[in-house]
Amino acid sequence: MPYDDQAPVLQFCGVDKSYPLGNRARRRTVLKDVSQDFAPGRMYAVVGPSGSGKTTLLSLAGGLDAPSAGTVRFRGRDLDRIGLDTFRRRHAATVFQSFNLIGYLTAARNVTSAMEITGVRRRGRKDRADELLGLLGIAAEDRHRRIQELSGGQQQRVAIARALACEVDILFADEPTGNLDQDTADDIVDILRKVAHDDGKCVVVVTHSAKVAAASDEVLHLKRGRLSRR
Amino acid sequence: MNLFKRAWWRLTATLGKTLLLTGLFFVVCALVLSGFLIRSAADRAAADAKDQVGAVATLSFDINALMESGRAENGGASGARIDPDDRLRSGKADALGKSPVVTRFSYKVESAGLATEDLKLYRAVPPPPAADTESGDFFKVEGVRDLAAMPSFRNGTSKLVAGKGIGPDTGDGVLVLEKRLADANKLEVGDEVTMRSFPGDGSKGKKRQFTVAGIYTSDTASSSQYTPALADPGNLVYASPNAAGALSAVTPTDEGSDIQEATFTLRNPGDLPKLKKQAAALGLDPDIYPLAVNDKQYKQLVGPISKTAGFATLTVWLVSLAGVAVLSLIVASSLRERRRELGILLALGERRPRLLGQHLVEIAACAIVAIGLAVPASQALAGTAGSSLLAGEVSDAENDKADEEKNSYADSMGGAAQDEEPAAEPIEDLDVRLTGADLAKVGAAGLGIAALATLIPGYRVLRLKPRQILTKGD
Repeated sequence: MPYDDQAPVLQFCGVDKSYPLGNRARRRTVLKDVSQDFAPGRMYAVVGPSGSGKTTLLSLAGGLDAPSAGTVRFRGRDLDRIGLDTFRRRHAATVFQSFNLIGYLTAARNVTSAMEITGVRRRGRKDRADELLGLLGIAAEDRHRRIQELSGGQQQRVAIARALACEVDILFADEPTGNLDQDTADDIVDILRKVAHDDGKCVVVVTHSAKVAAASDEVLHLKRGRLSRR
Repeated sequence: MNLFKRAWWRLTATLGKTLLLTGLFFVVCALVLSGFLIRSAADRAAADAKDQVGAVATLSFDINALMESGRAENGGASGARIDPDDRLRSGKADALGKSPVVTRFSYKVESAGLATEDLKLYRAVPPPPAADTESGDFFKVEGVRDLAAMPSFRNGTSKLVAGKGIGPDTGDGVLVLEKRLADANKLEVGDEVTMRSFPGDGSKGKKRQFTVAGIYTSDTASSSQYTPALADPGNLVYASPNAAGALSAVTPTDEGSDIQEATFTLRNPGDLPKLKKQAAALGLDPDIYPLAVNDKQYKQLVGPISKTAGFATLTVWLVSLAGVAVLSLIVASSLRERRRELGILLALGERRPRLLGQHLVEIAACAIVAIGLAVPASQALAGTAGSSLLAGEVSDAENDKADEEKNSYADSMGGAAQDEEPAAEPIEDLDVRLTGADLAKVGAAGLGIAALATLIPGYRVLRLKPRQILTKGD
C-alpha cells in the first residue's frame, strides 16, 4: 500500500502501551487510548509531569517500540507494516535526552555515519555535516574531536546536528535544551522552529521547559497516560 | 561501506582492545598452524617411509586351520597332510609375485642334502664317541628365489662376503655356502662341489654337482657343545628352489616344489587386501594360507612421528575449541559493553545483520593480522616443539625396543623363534615446511574461529531492542 500524502504525517489511533510488572501477570499501563494527528510543518511540544509517559510516547512515535494496542501510522500506513527499522531509517530521527552519540567517533563522523545509515546521498555529506555543526555552534577544531572530549552542551548540539542531517520527515527531541545554557537553548529552539516552518518537517519535542512549549505551534499535555490538547 | 569504516574507526580508537584481541588470535593461530605444520611434516615423513620400507606380507601354512577345516588327509604317524591340490607351490607364489602391488618377493623350499667327499659337514665340536650321528647328519638346504629378500639377509644377521647370491634368474646348479663350511672344506667361489640328495629312507641318494656361487657369513654362532650337524648354522646351504626340490625327498610337480612360506614386499601396507584377493583367485584357501602383513619396520620408522602428529592434531582441535570458547566470551563481553553503541545504531535505523557484520569485520581484521604474524612464529614453534616432542617419543620407542630385545633374548634362550624383521631406526627429524595448503587451512581455521566467535554471541544483537537500551542506559 503506498503512502497517502493527504494523511497526517504521523497518527496515533487508540494507542495503549503497557509493560509487564515483576510477576508478569500484572501490567502497568503507561499510555491509554492515545489518539493524535501530527502535521508536517508544525512544531509540537509534549509536556507533562515526570512518569506521565512522555518518553514512551516518543518511543512509539519514533519507531523505537511498538504499541500494546492501537496503531501508529506514518502517512496512513501502520508502522508495523512499514517496519520499525525502515521507519527509523527513512522517516524519523530522534534527539535523545542522553545524546546517545557513538563515543569512539568524532563529532563530524557521528553526523556523517548517521547520514550514511539513513541513505543521505554520498555527495556533500561532509559539507552538510560541517554546515550543521557550524550552525549549532560547534567550532571547526571541535568537529574532529572524539565525542568524549566534548562538553555535555557540545554533545547535545552534535546530537541535534545528527538528527537534522538525516533528512527525515519527522524529528523527535527528548528534552533537547535540558543540558544547554539559555542562549544556546534559545538558538536550538529557533533551529527546531525553522526545521518545522522552513523545511516543512514535523517536529515533536518532549519538554519541561515553558519557553520551549511557548515556542511550539501546539502543546500536548500528557497526564497519567492520557494525551490532551491545551 | 559504512560498516567497514566504522569497524576501522572502532579498531583504531580502541587500540588496546584491538591489540589484546589480535594477541589472543595470534596465540590461537600460532598453535593451530604449528599443529598443522607438525601434522603435515609427519604425513610427508610417513609417505617417505612407506616408499622406503614398504611392508612385508607373509603367506604361510597354518596347520591348525587345516585340521579344523576337515580337509586334511591322514598322514599316519606324521599327522595331517594337506591335499595336493591345495598345496602352496613355487608356481603359485611366482604368479602372486607378479602382482602390481608387489615390489619384490621370495619363498623358501626346505630341503636337505647329504655330505660327499668334497663337501663334508662342518662340525664346530666333534661328536662324542657314543653319539648317534645318523639322524641329524645332513645339510639343511633352503631353496630360495631371492636370497637378499630372506629375513636374515634383510635384517643384516647374514651377509654375503664373496661371490653372488641367489636371484630369480640364477640357475639351478649353484650353492651359497656359509663361510665356516667353505673354510672347513677349503672352498672358494667358483669351485665345483657335489651333494647327495636326501631320500629320507636311509639310502644314500643321488649325487648332484653344484658350483659355489657365493659365500656368506651368519651372526649365529655355533654351539660350544656338540649338536647334530643339521642344527649348526654353518651347515645351512642356500640353493635355487628347483635345486632344493631336486635334493628333497618329495619330487617337484609341474607347479614347482612345495613351499612353506612366501614373503611379498608390498608398495604400501594398505595394498594387503588386493594381494589377498589375488591369492584367493589362485586357489589358495585364505584360512589355510593366511596372508599377514608385517609392518613392524614401517611402524618402527613412523611410530614416534605418528604419535607426535597425533598429539599435534589433538592440540589443533583443543586450541581451536578453546579459541572459539575464549573468543566467544570476549566478543560476548564486548557486545555487552557495546550495547549502547548498538542501540544508537539501531535507533538510527542500521540493519541488524550489518551490525553483526561490523563485529565480524573487526574480529576478522584482528584474525588476519594475527595469522600474518603467526606464520613465522609457528614455523619456529613447530620446529622447536615438534622436535622436542619427537625426541621424547623416539626415546620412549628406543626404551620399548630395548625392553623388547631383552624379552626376545629371554625367549630365544627358552627356544622361541626370534623376530626376523630387520630393525628400523625411527625418524628423528621433523622437516617443517610451510605450504600454501597449510596457510589456507590455518586461514580457514582462523577466520572460522572469528566467524563462530562472532556469530555465537551475535544472536544477542539480533534480539536487541533499541528503546530498552537507550532509555534504560547500560
